[in-house]
Amino acid sequence: MLYQTTQEHEALRATVREFAEAEIKPIAFMLDKNNQFPTEQVKKMGELGLMGLPYEKEYGGAGLDALSYAIAVEELARVDGGAGVILSAHTSLGTYPIYAFGNEEQKKKYLPDLCSGKKIGAFGLTEPNAGSDAGGTETTAEDMGDHYLLNGEKIFITNGGEADTYVVFAVTTPGIGTRGISAFIVEKGWEGFTFEEHYDKMGIRSSATCQLNFNGVKIPKENLLGKEGQGFKIAMATLDGGRIGIAAQALGIAQGAYEAAVEYSKERVQFGKPICQQQNIAFKIADMATKLRCARFLVYSAAELKQAHVPYGMESAMAKQYASDIALEVTNDALQIFGGSGYLKGMEVERFYRDAKITTIYEGTNEIQRVVIASHILGKAAKEAPAAAAAGPRGPETGARKRLILKDGTAQEKVEVLVANLKKDGHDFTVGIPMDTPITQAERVVSAGQGIGEKKNMKLIEDLARAAGAAVGSSRPVAETLKYVPINRYVGMSGQKFKGNLYIACGISGAIQHLKGIKDASCIVAINTNPNAKIFKNCDYGIVGDVMEILPLLTKALDTGEKLPAPPMTKMKRMAPKKVYQPRKLYICNGCGHEYDPMQGDPENEVKPGTAFKDLPEGWTCPHCGEAVDAFIEIEA
Amino acid sequence: MYNYRMVTDDLYWVGADEHRLALFENIHPLYHGVSYNAYVLLDEKTVLFDTADWAVGRQFLTNVKAVLDGRPLDYLVINHVEPDHAASIEEILLRWPKVKIITTPKAVTLLNQFGFGLDPNAIEEVAEGDTKCFGKHTVAFVYAPMVHWPEAMVTFDTTNGVLFSADAFGSFRALDGKLFADEVDFAGEWIDDARRYYTNIVGKYGPQVVALLNKAASVVGLENIKYLCPLHGPVWRKDLGYIIDKYTHWATYEPEEKGVMIVYASMYGNTEAAAEVLAAKLTARGITNTRLYDVSSTHVSYLISDLFKYSHLVLASVTYNLGIFPPMHNFLMDMKALNLQKRTVAIMGSGSWAPRSGALMKEEIESLKNMTVLDEEMTVTSSLKADNESEIDALADAIAASVLK
Repeated sequence: MLYQTTQEHEALRATVREFAEAEIKPIAFMLDKNNQFPTEQVKKMGELGLMGLPYEKEYGGAGLDALSYAIAVEELARVDGGAGVILSAHTSLGTYPIYAFGNEEQKKKYLPDLCSGKKIGAFGLTEPNAGSDAGGTETTAEDMGDHYLLNGEKIFITNGGEADTYVVFAVTTPGIGTRGISAFIVEKGWEGFTFEEHYDKMGIRSSATCQLNFNGVKIPKENLLGKEGQGFKIAMATLDGGRIGIAAQALGIAQGAYEAAVEYSKERVQFGKPICQQQNIAFKIADMATKLRCARFLVYSAAELKQAHVPYGMESAMAKQYASDIALEVTNDALQIFGGSGYLKGMEVERFYRDAKITTIYEGTNEIQRVVIASHILGKAAKEAPAAAAAGPRGPETGARKRLILKDGTAQEKVEVLVANLKKDGHDFTVGIPMDTPITQAERVVSAGQGIGEKKNMKLIEDLARAAGAAVGSSRPVAETLKYVPINRYVGMSGQKFKGNLYIACGISGAIQHLKGIKDASCIVAINTNPNAKIFKNCDYGIVGDVMEILPLLTKALDTGEKLPAPPMTKMKRMAPKKVYQPRKLYICNGCGHEYDPMQGDPENEVKPGTAFKDLPEGWTCPHCGEAVDAFIEIEA
Repeated sequence: MYNYRMVTDDLYWVGADEHRLALFENIHPLYHGVSYNAYVLLDEKTVLFDTADWAVGRQFLTNVKAVLDGRPLDYLVINHVEPDHAASIEEILLRWPKVKIITTPKAVTLLNQFGFGLDPNAIEEVAEGDTKCFGKHTVAFVYAPMVHWPEAMVTFDTTNGVLFSADAFGSFRALDGKLFADEVDFAGEWIDDARRYYTNIVGKYGPQVVALLNKAASVVGLENIKYLCPLHGPVWRKDLGYIIDKYTHWATYEPEEKGVMIVYASMYGNTEAAAEVLAAKLTARGITNTRLYDVSSTHVSYLISDLFKYSHLVLASVTYNLGIFPPMHNFLMDMKALNLQKRTVAIMGSGSWAPRSGALMKEEIESLKNMTVLDEEMTVTSSLKADNESEIDALADAIAASVLK
C-alpha cells in the first residue's frame, strides 16, 4: 500500500495553509505577546467550514474524515500553536462528546452551531485534585428532581470563557470513584457559571485557558449527556480522539519550526558558507525531518483508524506521545540552528519552542500515554488498594481549620462575631507591624484578591492592614496581572509563603497554589461574596459578604489608633485536628494473639486492606502461627 | 525438709519460693522474689497439678514426695508448659515412671519442642470441656488459649470448687510462709506486684482473659469457684470478687482510678523541672493523685503497671537524635506491645534546636486503640521559662478538667 494522503486532503491542506499564512501568521506574535484570543480569525475559520470538519453535513459539519481534521490542526499549528489547539479542543473535546454520546435532540440543538463555528465548544474535566486521576473529581451535580445542581470548579480549560458550550464532568454518585461521574452540557451565561481570569501561560498564549466556577448552576435534566455514571467512559473515549488533535498540533508546531530552521540555515553564512553545509547542521536537519515523517505517519494512521471505526486508542496515544516528544526535540534543534537570533522575542522559533512544551502535558501527560499504551499491550494492572491511612477524601489544602463561617445576620453583626473570636484567640490589635514588612516575616497579613475590583479599592485593604497592624499582600493575579502591588507581595506556592499568626483574605477565591502559600498560617480569615469559594473550606473564620461593605466595618472594629510596635512574634497554635478512634471489629488468633484487622488486611497472604474477616479466601490461615479461621475470636476494639 | 501446706481437704500446695532470681523471664526485675506453685490432690488416685521451675526443683520434689507419703503418683495435669512451671516434669517422670500426663494437644507439641521426649502412651490428651474423675473429685478442663500462651488450660474441680487457674490470677512476690491472699496485706502490699505481673505478662491478651472469664461464668458459674489456685502468688479463698474485679479492669483496659501519671525523659534536668512544675500545678488544681517517674531510672515494667492503674498519662520527653529519647521510645513501644488502651494523654515535647519529640510521641499514642490526646500540647525549648507559664497553665488546666470530668 501507498502511505499517501489523497488529492482532496492536499487540497484542504492548501486551503487551510493559505488561510493560516494570510490571517494568522502576521498577528501570531501580537497574539502571543498580548495573551489574546483571535476572535475574528476563529469566526473566519467557521466561515471556511473548518469548525466541524469530521461531522456529518446533517449536523452542519463538513462531512470530511478525521484525517482532514488532523491536517487542519497541523496547518494552523504550523503558524501558531495556539490556533491549532483552539480548533482541536473545539472539535475533539467540545463537539465530539455531544456527537458521539448525545441523543438526537441534543445533537440537533448543539451540533449545528458548533460545526458552523457560530459557537465554540470546550471540555471541563480537570480539577485541582483530579488531573491524570479523574477519580479525584470533586465537582458535584446533585439530582434535585427536575434539574441537577452543579457545584465545583474546573481548571486549565482550553477555550474557557471564549466557548459557549461546555461538556462538564461531575460526580452524581459520591464514594464510588469514576463510576459515579456523569457528563453534562453546560451553557455559558447560566446563573452561577463564572470564569476566572485567563492564565498567563508559557506558550500557546493565543488560546484562552481559564478556570470555570460552578456555584449552584441549575442544569436542566435533558442536558445530561449519556446516562448517569457514564461520564468517565465518555471522557476517556473523547480523550482517545482528542489525542489525535494534540498530536497533529505538536506535529504542526514542529513542522513550522523545522521549516523556519531549514530556511535560516540556508541563509546564514559562517566560515564562508551557509551553515546548512556544515555537516552537523545538515545532520540535525536530516534527523528533524525523519522524526517529523515518523510522527506524521503515526498521527495520520491513528486518524484513519478512527475514521474506519476500528480500535485506535493505543495508536492515538502513541501518536500523541511520539509527536509531542519529538516536537520538543525538533523545536529545540530549530532554535539551536538559529543560535542567539532564535532566542529573541518576535522570532517564530522562540514561540514554537514555548508552544511545544504543553503538548507533552495536556490531554493526558506523556506518562499517562505510556500507561495507556502499556495497558493495551500488557492488560490493565490490578488496581492497587489505597493505603489504609490514605482512605477517605482529601482534606482542605490548608489542613484542619475551624471553619466558622458567618453567613447570616447583618454585616455589622458578622464583623463583631469575627473580632470577638480573634481577640479571644489572643490576637492583640493594640500592636502592629509596618505595612511593608516582608510577607515571610509578617505576623499578620491583609491580602487582596481579584474580588477587590478596581485599583482604588486597594485603599480599603491598606486601611484594614493599618487597623489590624498587618502587612499588605495579595493573590497572584492582583500582583502579576493587575499590578496593584509589587510582584514580591503575592502569596502562594510560587510567591511568598506566609507563616505568621493571622491572614485576612479579602476577595480571594482560594486557588490551590494560593492556599499552599498560607497553610502554615495560625489563623485564616476569609471575606468573600461567594459562599462556595474554596477559601471558606480553608479558613478558620469566614464572612460571606461584599468586601466593599465588610472591610470598612472590620477596619473600624479593629482600629485602636496608633499601633504600638509589635514584640517579636510568638507563633500561635493552630487548631489541631482531633483524631477520633473508630471502634471496629477485630479478630484475634487464639494460637498466637495476632490481630486480624480488616482495615489492614493481610499483606503477607495477599489479602487486600478492607477485606472482611468472613471474606478471607478459602484456606486462609494466621500469617504467624498457621491457625485456621475458627481459632479466631471476634472483639470490638 | 519438706515445706508444703494444705489448701483444703485432699489438696496440698507443694510449690516453692525463689528469692535469688533478679529478672523474671530475664526481663522484669524482682525485688521480693516469686513463688512457683504446684498442687497435689490425694483422692483414690493421686494427681499433681503442674510442676515448678528447675531453680526450686529440689524443694518442690521433696514436697511432692512428702505429701504422697509413699503412694504412687497416678496423674500429672499440665495446665501450662512454660518452663517456669514445666521444667521439673522430667524429674517427675524419672521418679514416678508410671504417671499419666493429662494435657492439651498443643501442650504436647510444645513439650516435645522443649525436648521432654514424652512417651505417647503415657499421655491423655484432653479436649475443651472434658472431665476426669479421680475418685471423689471430678475435674473439668477448660481451654484458656493465649492466657498468655496458646496451649494453656485451666482445671476446675467440680467437687470442691477449686480452680487451677494457671498463670491467671498470679502475682510476683514470694509467699514466705503465707499461702492465702487473706494471710497477707494483698490490697496494700501485694497489689502493685500482682498488677505488674499481670500487665507485663498477660496485658496484651485482655480479650482472651475476658473470653476466659466469660467462659468460666457460663461453664462453671463464678459463684461456684471457691478457691483460685494460680501458678504464682497466693491462693484465693476469700473475697474472690476483689481480684476478679481487678482482672476485669485490666483485661478491658479500663483504668482503676482517676489519677495522673507523669513520665519524663530528661538529659540534664530541664524537662524534669518542667514535669515537676506541671505536677505542682496539678496539685494546685486539686489533682493530688499523681505519680512522677523518670523514664531513664524506672524499669518499664513499673511504668506499664501504673499505666494500667491510672486514667491519665503525661509524657514529657526531650528530643534525641531528632527522635524520641530512647527509654521513652521503649516505653511507648511497650505500651503498644501490651495493647494499652483507653487513656487520656497530654504531651510535652522538648528540645533545643529541632524539638520533634512531642509530635512523634503523639503519633505513637494515636496509633494505639481508643486513646485521647489533649489538644493543649506544649514544647519546651531547652528549659521552661516564665514566658511559657501561660502554656503550662493551659496544659495543667486541660488535664485537671479532664480528670475532674
